[in-house]
Amino acid sequence: MTALEAGLLGQTLLLVVAIAAALLTPTSWRSRVSGFFCTLLAVAGVVTGAIALSGGTGSLSIPTALPMDPLVLSPDRLGGLVMVVVSVVGVLASLFGIGSARVASASRTSWLSMAVFLSGMQLVPAATDVVSFLLFLEIMTLGSTALLLAHHATRGTVASALVWYSAMSQLSFFFVLAGFAMLAGLAGGTGFADLATIDPFTWQASVAFLLLLLGFGGKAELVPLHVWVPRVLPEAPGHVAAAMSGAMVNIGVYGALLVVVRLLPNGPAWWGVLIMVLGGVSALYGILQASVASNLKVLLAYSTTENMGLVFLGLGASVLLRADNAAAAADAALVAALLLMLSHSAFKSTLFLGAGAVARAAGEMNLDRLGGLGSRMPWTAAAFGGAAMGAAALPVTSGFVAEWMLLQALIHGSRVDGEVVSVAASVAMPLAVAVIALTAGLALLTFVKAYGIAFLARPRSRKAALADEVPVIMRIPLVVGALLVVGLGLLPGPLAVAIGSAVGPAFTPDVRTIGLAGLDARGIDAVLDPTTFIVLAGLLLAPVLITLFISARRHPTRTSPLPWAGGGSRLRPRMQYTATSYAEPLVRVFDDVLRPTRDVEVTHVGESRYLVERVHVEQTVSDVVETRLYRPVLNLMQRFGILARRAQNGSIHRYLSYSFVALLSVLIVVSL
Amino acid sequence: MFTTIYPQLIGLCTGTLLLTSALMVWRHSLLASIRLLSVQGFALAALVAVIGLEEGEVEVILVSLLVLLVKGMGLPWVLARETHATTRTDEAPRLNPTAALLTVALLTILSYVVASRVLAGDISISAHAAPIGLAMVLIGFLLLVTRRQAGSQLIGFLVLDNGIATVAFLTSGGVPLFLELGISLDVLLVVVILYVFAGRMRTKFGNTEIDQLRKLHD
Repeated sequence: MTALEAGLLGQTLLLVVAIAAALLTPTSWRSRVSGFFCTLLAVAGVVTGAIALSGGTGSLSIPTALPMDPLVLSPDRLGGLVMVVVSVVGVLASLFGIGSARVASASRTSWLSMAVFLSGMQLVPAATDVVSFLLFLEIMTLGSTALLLAHHATRGTVASALVWYSAMSQLSFFFVLAGFAMLAGLAGGTGFADLATIDPFTWQASVAFLLLLLGFGGKAELVPLHVWVPRVLPEAPGHVAAAMSGAMVNIGVYGALLVVVRLLPNGPAWWGVLIMVLGGVSALYGILQASVASNLKVLLAYSTTENMGLVFLGLGASVLLRADNAAAAADAALVAALLLMLSHSAFKSTLFLGAGAVARAAGEMNLDRLGGLGSRMPWTAAAFGGAAMGAAALPVTSGFVAEWMLLQALIHGSRVDGEVVSVAASVAMPLAVAVIALTAGLALLTFVKAYGIAFLARPRSRKAALADEVPVIMRIPLVVGALLVVGLGLLPGPLAVAIGSAVGPAFTPDVRTIGLAGLDARGIDAVLDPTTFIVLAGLLLAPVLITLFISARRHPTRTSPLPWAGGGSRLRPRMQYTATSYAEPLVRVFDDVLRPTRDVEVTHVGESRYLVERVHVEQTVSDVVETRLYRPVLNLMQRFGILARRAQNGSIHRYLSYSFVALLSVLIVVSL
Repeated sequence: MFTTIYPQLIGLCTGTLLLTSALMVWRHSLLASIRLLSVQGFALAALVAVIGLEEGEVEVILVSLLVLLVKGMGLPWVLARETHATTRTDEAPRLNPTAALLTVALLTILSYVVASRVLAGDISISAHAAPIGLAMVLIGFLLLVTRRQAGSQLIGFLVLDNGIATVAFLTSGGVPLFLELGISLDVLLVVVILYVFAGRMRTKFGNTEIDQLRKLHD
C-alpha cells in the first residue's frame, strides 16, 4: 500500500468515524467531538492531496453492487492540488464550527452533513472516471444542501433559498451529466483516460464542452447560474458559508480545468473566447452587485462570483492563447488562474469566517447597523482586514500576486516576438485587461466599504456596541486564514512552481523561484519578488521611521477638537457614512446595469412644507439576471401549472374518463 | 349430442351477459341493477360450466360453482344489503338512456372490430364469442364514467370485472381454480372496502355522490 492509498483509505474511514460521532455523541459534546473528527477528515485530505501533488501514486478501488466497473480513486497532481486547497478550507471551517455551531447548526444532521460534504468535496478531485466524479459531485451537493437546512425552522427565508439552491445545483449537475455522457458516447468508455483521446475539433466535442462549461460554471457560481448565491450564502452558518464559498466553488474550477487541461486540451480558439466572455461578465457583474450590497454576507457572496469570473477569464485566455500558438503566455495565464483560485480560497474562507464571527457577536449582517467592531473584536478585525486586503488585491497578499500574474499574461499575451498572434487575441486581451482593471478598482472600493463600515468608526446600533470577541477556538482559524492570505502572497515562487508541476505533463509552464521565494515567469519576462522588496523597503525606510519616532517622542501631539465640527465634538454615529451612502455614487454611475428601486418617504412636521420630521429612504438592488432571465421562465411554468390544474380538477369522473378515452383510443388504433 | 348444442349454449350465455350489461346501462334503479348483476353472475357461471363440460375438466366445473357462489349470489347479496339501508337509490346519470344505449351499441361494434383483428387466426367457437367479454369491459367502464352514486359505480366495476372474466374463460378455456379463487377474493375485498367507504360517505355527507370528493386532506 502506498502513502496515497493509505491517505485515501484514511479519508473514507474518517468519514465513517465522523458520521458515527455526529450520530452518537450527546448534544453537549457533539460540536467538539464531531468538529474534531471533521477537522481530522480534512487534515487527511490535506495530507493525501499533498502526497498526490508531490507525485505520489496509488489507487483505491471501491467495488459497487451496480453492474459497472468499480469506482477507482487515484488523484493526479492537479487533483492533489485542488484536494489540498479544499481540505485546508475544510480544516479552517471545521475548527471554526467547533466554536460557532450552536443549536440548529450543531444538530446531528448538520454535523453529519458537514462530514459528508467535506469528504465529497475532497474526493471529487480523486476521481478517475466519469461515474465516480459525478457520484462524489452529487454527494458534495447533497451534503451542502442538508447543511443549509440548519436554520429552516427559525427563518422563513431558508426554504425559498434552499429551493433555489437545489434547482440551480441540479441544473448544473444536469449540464455536467449531459456533457460527460456526450464525451463518454464519443470515446466509448467512461474513464478519463478514454475521454482524453477525443478530438476537440469535432462538433460533438464542442457541444459537450458547452454543456460542461455551463455546468461547471454553475458550480463555480458564474453568471447566469449564480442566482442562488446571494440567497443561500447569507442563510448559511458562517463555517458552512466559508466551506461553500471558499472550497466548493473550486470544484467548479477543477471541473473546467479537467475539461480544458486534461480531457480536451488544445481546443479551438472560440472556446477560449467563450470562457473569457463568461468570466469577464461574471467578474464585472459580481463586483458591481457586491459594491452596492449592504448585507455583509451578500457582499461576500457576490464577490465570489467576481473572483471566479476572473479565474475563468484567465482560463479562457490560456485556451485562446494556446490555440494561437502563444504557449508561454497561455501557460502563464493558466498559472495565474490557479493562483487566483488558491488566493480566493484563502481570503474568502477567512472573510466568511469573519462574517460568521460578526454574526455571532453582533447578531447582525446589515452593514448599515454595524460599525466600531474593530475595538471590540480586535482579532476578528485584524483577520478580516488582512483577508479584505487580499480580496482587494493589495500588495503583499496572495490576491495581488494572482492578479499581477494574470495581467502580465494578458498584456504580454497578444504578441509573440512583436508579432500579433491573432485578431481575436489582440481584441480580447486589452478588453480583458480593462475588465480586470475595473474589477480591481471596484473590489478595492467594496472591501474598503466592508471593512471600514463594519469595523471602524462608531457603532451604528446597540447590538454592534455590545459585541464581544469570539472564543479562542474560533479565532485560531481566522488568524490562520489571514496568515495564509499574506503568506501565499510572500511565497509566489514556490507556489507557482507547484502549480506548474500540477498542470503537467500536458503543459509545462516555465516558472521558477527567484530571490527570496520570488516568482520568475521566464516565458513572459516577468519577475515578482515581494519578500526581497519588503526587506529592501524596510532597510530604506528604517532610518526615516526611526527619525519620525524620535521626533514624535519629542513633540507630544495635542488633541484638538475636530476642525470641521465647528469647534465642538458632537460626532454622533448617525453622522457617519453608511454602507448605502458610501456606495451611492456607484449606484448612480451604474444605474442602467443595477436598476435600483428607491423609495423616499418624507414626514413633515404638522402642516409645514419646509420642516421635515423624518425622511425614510429605502433602496433595493435586485438581481437583473434573476428578474430578466429566470422570472419569465418561472412565470411561464406557473401559467402552465394553472392550465394543468384545469385538467386535474380532482373529480374521480374526470380521471375515469381519461382512462376510458385512453383505452378506447388504444382499441381503435389496434383495430385500424 | 352435446357438441351440437355447445355453440348454442355458448351463444345463449354470452347473449345473456351482453343483454344484462346493456339493461344495466338502461335502468337507473340501483335495486334493478343489482338483480341484473345477479343474473349476469348466473350466466357467467353457466358459461364456465358449459366450457367445463365441453372440455371435460372437473376443475373448470368447480370454478363455475365458485363463480356462481361469489358473482351470482355473494356480491349481489352484499350490495343489496347496503342498498336496502339507504333511502335514495335512484340514479341521475350524466348521460341520458338513449344516448347511453347508442354508446353501448357503438362500444359493442368496436369490440367486435378489435377482436376480429386481435383473434384473427382463432376460429374456435368460444373465441368467436370473446368480443362479448370486451364489450362488457367497455360497458362497465362506461357505467363507471357516467354514474354518480358510489353504489352504481360499484356495479360498473363489477361488470368490468365480469367482462374480464368472460374474456379469460372464452379465450383460454377456463382459468385454474387457484387463480380464480384469488381473483374472486380480491373482488370481494374491493366490494367490501367500497361498501364501508360508501357507508362512511353517507354518514358524513348524507349522500354518496362522488362528485363531491374533489379535495385531498391530510
